[in-house]
Formats: sequence, C-alpha cells, structure tokens
Amino acid sequence: MTLTEYYGRLVLVNRHQPEIAGVTTLKTITREGAVVRCGRCGQVTPVHEAALPGGEFYCPQCINLGRVSTLCKFYHVPEANQFELKKPVLTWNGKLSPLQARAAKQVADRMVAHQSQLLWAVTGAGKTEMMFPGIAAALARGERLAVASPRVDVCLELYPRLRAAFANTEMALLHGRAERPYHYAQLTVCTTHQLLRFYHAFDNLIIDEVDAFPYAANPLLFYASRQAVKKTGGRLFLTATPDATLQGAVRQRKLAVTYLPLRFHGHLLPTIHCHLARRWRVQLRHQQMPSQLVRVMRSALRKQHRFLLFVPHVKDLAPAAAAVHRYFASQSFATVHASDPARLTKVQAMRDGQYQFLITTSILERGVTFPEIDVFVLGADDAVFSTAALVQIAGRAGRSASRPTGRVEFWVADHCRRVNQAVRQVAYMNNKGRRCQDAVPAL
Amino acid sequence: MQCLLCNRLVTKRLAIRDLLWPGKIEWPVVCEECWSRFTAIHGPACPVCSAPQSTATICRECRRWRSLYQWQLRHTALYRYNEAMKDFMHRYKFNGDYRLRAVFQPTLVAAVKKLSADLVVPIPVTATTMQTRGFNQVTGLLTGVPLTTCLTARVKDKTAQSKKNRHERLQAPQPFALVDPAQLVGKRVLLVDDVYTTGRTIYHAANLVYGAGATTVISVSLAR
Repeated sequence: MTLTEYYGRLVLVNRHQPEIAGVTTLKTITREGAVVRCGRCGQVTPVHEAALPGGEFYCPQCINLGRVSTLCKFYHVPEANQFELKKPVLTWNGKLSPLQARAAKQVADRMVAHQSQLLWAVTGAGKTEMMFPGIAAALARGERLAVASPRVDVCLELYPRLRAAFANTEMALLHGRAERPYHYAQLTVCTTHQLLRFYHAFDNLIIDEVDAFPYAANPLLFYASRQAVKKTGGRLFLTATPDATLQGAVRQRKLAVTYLPLRFHGHLLPTIHCHLARRWRVQLRHQQMPSQLVRVMRSALRKQHRFLLFVPHVKDLAPAAAAVHRYFASQSFATVHASDPARLTKVQAMRDGQYQFLITTSILERGVTFPEIDVFVLGADDAVFSTAALVQIAGRAGRSASRPTGRVEFWVADHCRRVNQAVRQVAYMNNKGRRCQDAVPAL
Repeated sequence: MQCLLCNRLVTKRLAIRDLLWPGKIEWPVVCEECWSRFTAIHGPACPVCSAPQSTATICRECRRWRSLYQWQLRHTALYRYNEAMKDFMHRYKFNGDYRLRAVFQPTLVAAVKKLSADLVVPIPVTATTMQTRGFNQVTGLLTGVPLTTCLTARVKDKTAQSKKNRHERLQAPQPFALVDPAQLVGKRVLLVDDVYTTGRTIYHAANLVYGAGATTVISVSLAR
C-alpha cells in the first residue's frame, strides 16, 4: 500500500501491525464510563452490548463497514492534496439558464469560503448542472472534493454525469458493492455511509438528496459528513425538500442558503390541490372510487394527459387496480411496486407511452421523469408519505418544457400536518419563484 | 426492542402473567419473520449424525467414519445449514458481531443441558482467529454453561476450514492438542461445535478425547 492510500482515510489494521514512518495511528474505541465511543462513527454503545471476551470492545453500529474493535487500530495520514491538474477542468459544454447561473455563482462563491450551505432548488431545477461551476473552480484550486448521496442509485446516476463533465480529473466511485477498491482521487463519488472511512479529507463535501432515507434524522450519517471534511472544510447540501432540521439551521443563520424556486424551464411548481375522501379504502373494497377522482381521471384521459396514481401501500394496489378497471376497462395501465419483478419493464413501457397511467406506491417518488404527466395521490395522509415524499411526488408533474404545468391532486381521509406542510412548502417556493420571474423577465 | 438480524421492531403480545409475575419479561431478540427463515432439523434423519435424509438408516458418511475409527460419534444437530444460517454465521463469525450469539444461545444451551454430559468441551479456535475475531464462536453460544476447555488448536492453519473443498477438508491433519487430559478419564464428554459439515473436525477432537480415556463421547452442533 502506498502512502497516498492513507491520505485522509481511516484504514483499519490489526493492532499488532508495525508502525509505519509518516503514518499516524489513531485509537479505535474509547471507554466513557458505562458506554464506549467508536472512533469511526462516533456513536456510543452500552458496554454490555459492545463487550467482547477478555475486556475487549467493538462497535456494533458501523459493523457493516468492517468491525472496529479494540483489537485494531487506524492508520491515517493527513490529507496532502497531491493532485495533478489537467486542463481544461470542466469538459461540460452545456449552458445554464440565467437563473441557474446566478444560483450556481452564489454556490461557487460560498464553496471558496468553505461555508456550510444549502441549495434549496425545486424538483426539476437542474441541481446537478448547477454544481458544475463550483466543483470546477474547487478542482482548479487543487481541492479534494466528494459528492455523496444517501442512496446508491443516486450515486450510480451521478457518477457517469460527473465523469463526462470532469473528464480530465481522477475520480473514484465508492459504495457497498463497488467492484473497484478504494483509490486516491481528487473527486470522490460515494454513499454517505462510505464517508465514515474518511477523516478530515475533503475541502468541500457535496451531499445530494440529503432528505432521502436513510440520511434523514440519522445521527451517524450527520457525524460522517462532519468528520469527512477538513476542519476548515465546507459542506453543500442539495435538496428539493429540506426537513425541519435543515430549515431550522437556515433560520438560525447556521447554514447559508441559495434558493432556486423555478424549474429549468422557468415555470412554477404545480400547486397541490387537496380533497377529502374519508372512506376511500372502503370504497375501493367495493370496487368504487371517490367520484371526484373518477372525474379527474376521466378528464385527464380525455385530454390525452398521462398520469401516475399513487397509493400508500402495496396491499392497496390490487383493490385500486380492480376499482379502476371497473371504471376504465378500455384503458391500458399497470401497477408497480418496489419488489415487482417487472418493475423496470413497466416503467419503461410507461415512458414509451404504452400505458395511459400507472398505479404505484412511493417507489416512483424520486429520480423518475415522465414528460407531461399529472399526479394523483389517494390516501396522501398515510404515514408512509412524509412531507418530503409528497413534495417529491408533486414534483413529478410538469417536468418538461413542452407541458410545464400539470395537475397535482391529493385525496386524504383526514386533514393532516404532513400534507398541509407539503402544500405550504410548494406555495412558499412558488412565492419566491414569482419574485424571480419578475426579476428576470428575459427567461 | 429491535430485531438483531433485520433491525425491525420486535413486538410481543403481553399476557397477564407477564404483567403480574415477578422477574424480567423475556423479550424475543429476533422478529418472527427472521426466525421463520431458519429450519429446525426434524423428521427422518441419520440416527447417528442427524443428516436430513429420506430413510432412518445410518448414512454413508457415518459408515465410512465407523470403518475408519471402529467407534461411532453420536451427533445431534439443531438446524439446517440453509441460506439464513449461512448468512447468520457469516455475520456472527466473519463480521464478528458478537451480539448475535443471543439469537441461538438459549436453544443451544437447552440442547446441551438435555444431553446431560459430565463435561462440556467446546471446539477451540486458533490463536490467530482469537487475535482477529476476539472470541470463540462456540463459547459465545454457550454463555452460562460450565465449560472444560481442554482442547487447544495446535497448528496455525493457513486456510480456514470453511475455505477448503470437501476432499481437502477430509485430508486435514489433526488440528487439536489436549491440555490436562487426566480430567477426561471415565467421563461422558460432550463436544460442541457451531457447524458440522464433513465431520472431520469433530472426529479429530473425539479421537483425542477417547484416547485420553473418556468412556463416552457425544457431540452437538448448531447447524448441519
């Protein structure tokens, strides 16, 4: 192993391994009274749970990344930023809209200052492209960067796009099932879990989709993002739906914020409309649907607008499909859920226009783009739909420039705070968006 | 409480006696779904080594062991070595999650008590394993049982048993040595291992224990 492999890393080795010149050794586990604290994930575990025979301890919390125990130690070399710069750094030749460019500039300026910041951009605003100027400038300064996301699929989607945009930069892709082992690179794309293996490594860390499960409210991953950046390093959070913690940090001025309230095509988000359907599950059981839903679906079909109908649980899919079939026997549609073996082919068929609509659970909440669709949610007040999920679902509509508006209709059995907050969040961003539209008339 | 294997919440319906009876309420450590993936061995099996089979005759392997040693080791296995068990062993032994011993500890301890031996001897691990893993997986599963650790792993084996194929395993030389063999004379000894695959390991151990003067040697393993 060459020394570069230890730069900014916590490499787990047996405690009897010899000392290497120039390599720091760090402690793995610290005892703090009745608990032990892990040197990698920073979490505490009661002594009786963490105990191994013979007075040794291990950390059960981050064991999936390889066990940290008192039988081991960490090798670490402080990050040295030894990179070769090849010009041009940015090999992307797309163009940002004026509004995107303005936000991107603000983000890049704050990355220079290594601030903690939030880019709150609505769904379909083109967040990835907006990171490019900031990343390019940082790479040119010789900084080490990471782009992390809680979801592997987001990482897998980001990697080729960044690869193309920064073709001259050495890049690494790290996740639980990665084939290529770790190697030292100036730009790292990884899952947030992998950040635990870094220690004061990055000058700037970008976390995409911060609100996605399992990052949301996970202290371990928050700790990971703090540890992975240098003491003077900056963090950039990207999201369309910041949770209460992030919004609170913005209000308390702990987190600088950049808003992008308009989509790439310059239009506002479709507004969410709520309807009461108190007994929708009972109705479905009798192969009936809320009459308003039938009307809305009929009108969408008449106008040749395709749509997604969301239901809360997999077990709601069959009754919903049966009821829909009774009303719309002539239409082609399908049901999709997470463990559906034909999931990918069905989604592709919807993209190709073979289906008029899909009935689905929350799996299609993020990262899926069908052009020109409407979105209906039955039972939006169910606990599986968080505020973030509802805003994301609403964000599926109106994503193309050819039909930038779309209908978003929610049916709820009862009024609930999550739904109201989602409605309010969309209204809040639209308010800001209207001001932007006035300020930048040349869109 | 969370399931040790899948982290989901484990629920339990409390009975009135749980509320009124003094002492601690026994809470399951794994959820029903995870537990149902393990298959206990019952039905027709080899009467000597508990290998699941259609008839109740002694299996071919056991006959082979008999011709090799002139005695037969009566072995009890509790669970099938299926995918779930393989996954469990991987996480418990190779990832080293020592908490997971609680999943099978009660069942194995009950089985050991039922076999009523004078001495319970766990199969040892090598010093190298002890250095990296930090525990003996068998001893972990037997927490609360008085053990006689009279076996030690003698050779520093370069490849672990689980990484060899069947033929290589059967060729393996005696890996154990005895410490203080006098205590075994005239005793009924129970050998405990985590997984019985070919029987090679446990027959090696049994051979030593018989040689030290034990009257009966029987064995039990969690999986087979």
